[in-house]
Amino acid sequence: MFDFIVSYYNYWVFIGLMMVGFYAMMAKRNLIKKIIGMNIFQSAIIFFYISTSVKKGGVTVPILEHGHAAHAADGLEHGAHAVDIMQYANPLPHVLMLTAIVVMVATLGVALAVAIMIYRRYNTLEEDEIIKLLRRG
Amino acid sequence: MKILSVIAGVLVGAALIYGALDMPKWGDPHSPASSHVSPYYLRHSIEHTATPNVVTSVLADYRGYDTLGETTVVFTAGIACILLLRKGRKRQGKRHV
Repeated sequence: MFDFIVSYYNYWVFIGLMMVGFYAMMAKRNLIKKIIGMNIFQSAIIFFYISTSVKKGGVTVPILEHGHAAHAADGLEHGAHAVDIMQYANPLPHVLMLTAIVVMVATLGVALAVAIMIYRRYNTLEEDEIIKLLRRG
Repeated sequence: MKILSVIAGVLVGAALIYGALDMPKWGDPHSPASSHVSPYYLRHSIEHTATPNVVTSVLADYRGYDTLGETTVVFTAGIACILLLRKGRKRQGKRHV
């Protein structure tokens, strides 16, 4: 049981983080707090993807060591076969999360801009007060 | 409202924990994510793109169109921010409250 919990501990951390963000998005009435919750949620997803790229045992970042030098010295067309794939972390989640970080920043920027507009118009960021003002017309 | 949110969070969290039981263990070198496509990129990155950094070669060469689309996302977000935040000349007197 203990081994089971430990060997999956990364998932427990992400699920906890994600539920913190989910709760903040649903329950908080302040719009800025909702945006912070959305960011926590997206960060949890990014951590999850990055953790899938980990391989145990002497793994480094996916930058091929002496890549150019080996290729030139051997004069091989297919020198790439010398690459030991167990030595490098999986590069694909890193690439996908670079894209996801960009999307996250874009959504954060637009959300904050909309929040600024709401504040200019209603002079408050509390959701219930905005709804009250909307009902009054 | 808060109680409903807590209940929804606990339910979704339980579903996610149930789903995590089928996931590969932490640091498993033979996990599905790192055993099908990514060895190809690691082996052929130097040969195809002459770039030692595999992340760069995938981002800018293999998935170049994806990165182009990504710049479109940033552009759209920037335009949206500008449209929202610029000083509205026509509506300036109309703010109520």
